[in-house]
Amino acid sequence: MYVVRPVALADIDALEAMAAVTIPGVHTLPRTRASIAASVERSIASFAAHVDIPSEESYQFVLEELATGSIAGTAAIHASAGSTGTYFAFRNDVVRQVSRDLKICHSVHALTLCSELTAYSQLSGFYLRNRETAGLEAALLSRARLLFAVLAPHRFGDRFFVPLAGVTDSGGQSPFWNALGRKFFKMDFLDAERVVGGARNRTLIVELMPHYPVYVPLLPGGAQAALGQIHPSGQLAFNLLTEEGFEADDYIDIFDGGPILQAHKNSLRSFCGSVLRRVETAEREAAPEALASYALAASNERSFRAITAACPPVETGQTVSLPKEAQEALGVEPGESVICVRI
Amino acid sequence: MLVIRAIKMTDVDALIEMARQAGSGMTTLVPDSKMLGERVETAVASFAEAIAPEKRDFMFVLEHAGDGSIAGVCAIKGAVGLTEPFYNYRIGTLVHSSRELNVFTRMETLYLSNDLTGSTELCSLFLLPQYRAGFNGKWLSKSRFLFIAQFQHLFTERIIAEMRGFQAEDGTSPFYEGLGRHFFKMDFNDVDGLTGRGKKSFIAELMPRQPLYVDYLPEDAQAVIGQVHTSTLPARKLLEQEGMHFEGYIDIFDAGPVLQGRVSELRAVRESVLALAEEGVPEGETEHVLVSNTRLPDFRMILTRAVPGAARVALSAQELAQLHCQAGDDVRMLSLNVRKNVNG
Repeated sequence: MYVVRPVALADIDALEAMAAVTIPGVHTLPRTRASIAASVERSIASFAAHVDIPSEESYQFVLEELATGSIAGTAAIHASAGSTGTYFAFRNDVVRQVSRDLKICHSVHALTLCSELTAYSQLSGFYLRNRETAGLEAALLSRARLLFAVLAPHRFGDRFFVPLAGVTDSGGQSPFWNALGRKFFKMDFLDAERVVGGARNRTLIVELMPHYPVYVPLLPGGAQAALGQIHPSGQLAFNLLTEEGFEADDYIDIFDGGPILQAHKNSLRSFCGSVLRRVETAEREAAPEALASYALAASNERSFRAITAACPPVETGQTVSLPKEAQEALGVEPGESVICVRI
Repeated sequence: MLVIRAIKMTDVDALIEMARQAGSGMTTLVPDSKMLGERVETAVASFAEAIAPEKRDFMFVLEHAGDGSIAGVCAIKGAVGLTEPFYNYRIGTLVHSSRELNVFTRMETLYLSNDLTGSTELCSLFLLPQYRAGFNGKWLSKSRFLFIAQFQHLFTERIIAEMRGFQAEDGTSPFYEGLGRHFFKMDFNDVDGLTGRGKKSFIAELMPRQPLYVDYLPEDAQAVIGQVHTSTLPARKLLEQEGMHFEGYIDIFDAGPVLQGRVSELRAVRESVLALAEEGVPEGETEHVLVSNTRLPDFRMILTRAVPGAARVALSAQELAQLHCQAGDDVRMLSLNVRKNVNG
């Protein structure tokens, strides 16, 4: 059984081992022990913080395999993208070219530097150790962040987005970057990512990036082909997020041209499809066909826990019947409330 | 003997024939009898000062005095862009700089502009192939400057000339292929044709409204920005000698340069002189000069030899007749060639 819980100081070793196998420019995890420790401490402080207006808080979660206590993955959510700055992205505009006199009418795509995603809540740092063989726990890890947001809405914005890594080759070259960012930054993609520290809220972005729209037809074929395409390693995350209700196509990353998925919380299944139910103990083994898979999260935000469990449908009743070990994993007693959403 | 004179209604047929020979690429001289007929009407009214200065369109023909046939044409449009928008790209510079990264990037940009609206335009120059010898081409082109020098008050301070842009051997424009095609999905020649028939502003309306970064264009498109068609090189040089120069405005389709000049700085304005015509044979060190009469409705000009800058100019009886002048009349005179070492 897997549980998603807030990261703790004891997880630093495991996270360091995990970061060692991530790909720069593709994964957004901190990579050095010092930066991992800083990130964990920031998360602990964020969970403990009393929040009026979402700001610099960043909540990091780990996926723990309960039997072994090992860490199988991690994911994070920032309360407010850009923090105290501005989050920059390219908006994917469609310009209609119409001339009645010449009977011409067609569309031209243009990328415009924008800051509209600022103050959205941002999902990031999703990493799963055994991506290929992962089962429901992958969906749990991705969704747990949103369940936390459902339980603590005051800590987050009304809108959420997730940048997914764009296409790069094995040498770390990004065709999109080479056609666009490189002309302004005069450096390699990975060097640029390193100097900005993976951030999209630095002043130097507005200093260097194009102020005027970039007309997509003018970009080389390779860059156009990479536009809005995900790195193969992001397929799982992409599938999970689109199932959740996130939409691609509106925004893309200014560096690698990867898609930025975004949604209002009301169109996300974790928000609109979740229900609060009182826990009761499952009396006896029910027939498997009478059970449905749920992601469950404990409603006490101070001790957030999320698991998946198979239980009888909860939509019609007031309760959710859970086996003892599920209650223990969630840290709840019968009579307490948990949030449930089908998974 | 050849004479350059103000156009007349009787020249329309010859003009249409000339436009036919000029072929595509001459967007200011299209073989459309209705359009040309109207244009000549405007020109005649212009010389008669019957229409407002900004509407005037002075057309001149090079006439063979022997049989009255027409060998060439050229024109000065009083003001462009007042009835339909006149578009150009202005080449600008944007600097993207970050102290933090120690990066300093200088980006060339193309701004869609109507900056040249209201300028006087030199246009529609065409000389029949069999007359492309001697000084005819040079004279025909420069005749317009002498006209402007004589009637400065009729023109705006800014003079422009659009030069045909670079084309590959197969007639395609690398600049158009790299930019315009993405926005019109039409062949360059079709666009050019529409431009000549006065549909230019329609097309321009389909161009991207926001400034473009030159760096995004394909290299061959970047390379021809401000470059003229190979066959237009001599014409460009000629205009530059007369005081016109490239100031960063280009055609939105083929990126050909727009040459600009200020009336007060034209060589013709600075160096042409009014002289007293007299009948006789020139004496002293003569060179080729343009000599015109000073009458707008019946403007005429010849090319002859005289002492440039002198207060009197000796002309033969035939030359006086061609100018519709008599001895004792004022004429305006300008040396054909630029003096090489003005300052010794």
